[in-house]
Amino acid sequence: MKILLLFFIIPFTIQSQSASDIVRQTEEKMRGKTSTAVLIVSTIRPTWKREMKIQAWIKGNSFSMLLIEAPARDKGIVFLKRNKEVWNWMPSIEKTIKLPPSMMSQSWMGTDFTNDDLVKESSLVSDYIHSFSGDTIIGNRSCYKILLIPRPEAAVVWGKLITCIEKERLVQLHAEFYDDENRLVNTMNGYDIKLMDGRLIPTRFEMIPADKKNQKTEMRYESIQFDKPIADEFFTVDKMRYLIAR
Amino acid sequence: MWIILLAWKNLWRNKSRTWITILSIFFATLISTLASSLKNGIFDQLVMNMVSSYTGHIQISRQGYQDEQTLENAFFPSDAIGRKILNQKGADAMTGRLVSFALTSYEDKTKGCMIVGVEATESERFMHLKNKIHAGQLANSRDNKVMVAKELAKELQIMVNDTLILIGQGYHGASAGGKYPVSGIIDLGSPQLNKKLIIMPLLAAQQLLGADSLITTWSILTSSKINPEQLAENIQSAIGADFETLTWGELMPDIKQHIDADSGNMQIIQYILYFLVSFGVFSTLLIMMSERKRENGMLLALGMHKRVLQKLMFIELIFAAMIGATGGLLIAYPIAIILKKYPLQISGKLAETYSKFGFEPIFPTSTDPVLFLSQWITVFIMGTLLGLYPMFIIQKMKPVEAMKK
Repeated sequence: MKILLLFFIIPFTIQSQSASDIVRQTEEKMRGKTSTAVLIVSTIRPTWKREMKIQAWIKGNSFSMLLIEAPARDKGIVFLKRNKEVWNWMPSIEKTIKLPPSMMSQSWMGTDFTNDDLVKESSLVSDYIHSFSGDTIIGNRSCYKILLIPRPEAAVVWGKLITCIEKERLVQLHAEFYDDENRLVNTMNGYDIKLMDGRLIPTRFEMIPADKKNQKTEMRYESIQFDKPIADEFFTVDKMRYLIAR
Repeated sequence: MWIILLAWKNLWRNKSRTWITILSIFFATLISTLASSLKNGIFDQLVMNMVSSYTGHIQISRQGYQDEQTLENAFFPSDAIGRKILNQKGADAMTGRLVSFALTSYEDKTKGCMIVGVEATESERFMHLKNKIHAGQLANSRDNKVMVAKELAKELQIMVNDTLILIGQGYHGASAGGKYPVSGIIDLGSPQLNKKLIIMPLLAAQQLLGADSLITTWSILTSSKINPEQLAENIQSAIGADFETLTWGELMPDIKQHIDADSGNMQIIQYILYFLVSFGVFSTLLIMMSERKRENGMLLALGMHKRVLQKLMFIELIFAAMIGATGGLLIAYPIAIILKKYPLQISGKLAETYSKFGFEPIFPTSTDPVLFLSQWITVFIMGTLLGLYPMFIIQKMKPVEAMKK
């Protein structure tokens, strides 16, 4: 009798646990406690393309620091995220600017990311309610298709998210971002799964806005190190201006 | 010839009657000429302010720029196309400009502004910046300095030689930020432009915005004799569909419509003025014809042809009209010239009101000869039309009845 009961319960508990679990594991894998990465961000437009080399330090959800190393004219520009604030150091004007809320929805450095994307404190894990919505196959690999609905109290801009996570290696291969009216806003794809610092992760992402033709932003990891301790004091406005001299 | 002499003599037989006619025409001409000279002067200034420091009579940009005025629609100004444009008759001067929007900041004040990068050599021919300097001096073409419009400078509380910050987005999403000393503060006339313009050498603007050797627009000035619409069409067909060619009227329809509407109003007022004067003149004609009924009847009875008598009357009237109109112009023209040199300045609350509507509170006059000539012609036509009345009376006149007391 007890065994029979287990048969009934196990499938449900495993399922409902694992949707959140899968997302949590995937996110943790990508973030670590801290991460230090070198990224190439390419803005791709119908008539032109522009590449930026960026060094990034990330600690949890609340701290991150981005240093632009190339192209030469943008070299030394730093973005700092501290909790909900974004600061910008511009070497050309020797000034630190706190990005006002009005600028949050504007494009970040001409890419398809907004300034708001930098600050997003929202976590795929804690701010959403997860549920499976079937399986799917991406590039011969079978994936979980997971629907993420924001929790009512979460400060999230999206109406819903659909993400596809590969079953075997737990990496995010695809995500769709919908607005309140259920219209597709952005599509994200992950490619080139490689072993970096001991973790198998997609090393190339592309972000495709739905309303603009032939336009996307690509983000490629050149290198990434996980769990290298970074002190909270590193993420301060003062540090920004000396970053390039390090 | 004798008939002209006779008309002249007749005119002065009854001096007071003639003077009434002449004076009413004189004042009508004087007032309407000065009014339209003032109106044209104000609008010419408004247009010149906008055209010279902003659009040019004609503006050429890459196809799509008008819908989306961003740096992404900038283009490389090739000599080949430049030559094609300047080959068009009436395209007197051309200058490339790089226009973009940015934030400007000085100490703790920040304002949105429009950056206009201008070629230094053309900036004089076009914008007459030298005359518009309010304080400081012009920036040289190699300088990394800016000129700030008067109102904007006032809001930022910035002075000459202070350093302001410009920050925005450059070409292809590059970052655009820089520190620039203010070389001069300029008064562009137009209150709209005075509030937002920062003018800098083209080279410096291209560097700031990461748009090396690119421009967003070609501005063209044309002599006033050429119709800009026609020229724009010619240029468009010469350079093809990669570019769009627009006249200032198309670029600033609000101003164009404002001018058209106001010109219409003025025309109606002028018509009313002339209408009233016509009645004044007509009444003197009426009196004259009845006063001279006997005399005219006598002349006809003596064998003068009706045709000749009609001619005589007509010439008399034209004489009076011409004296009045010419006199009016002779007085109005010097006044217009003086007012052009020393324009009416409006101050206080009224000046603020005008500023709000985009007018500089300085009212110059226009001394365009065409304007004065057209007034003269209007008076001439009016005289001719009124002259039909005596002709009609003479045509109907029966000498015997006319001579009866």
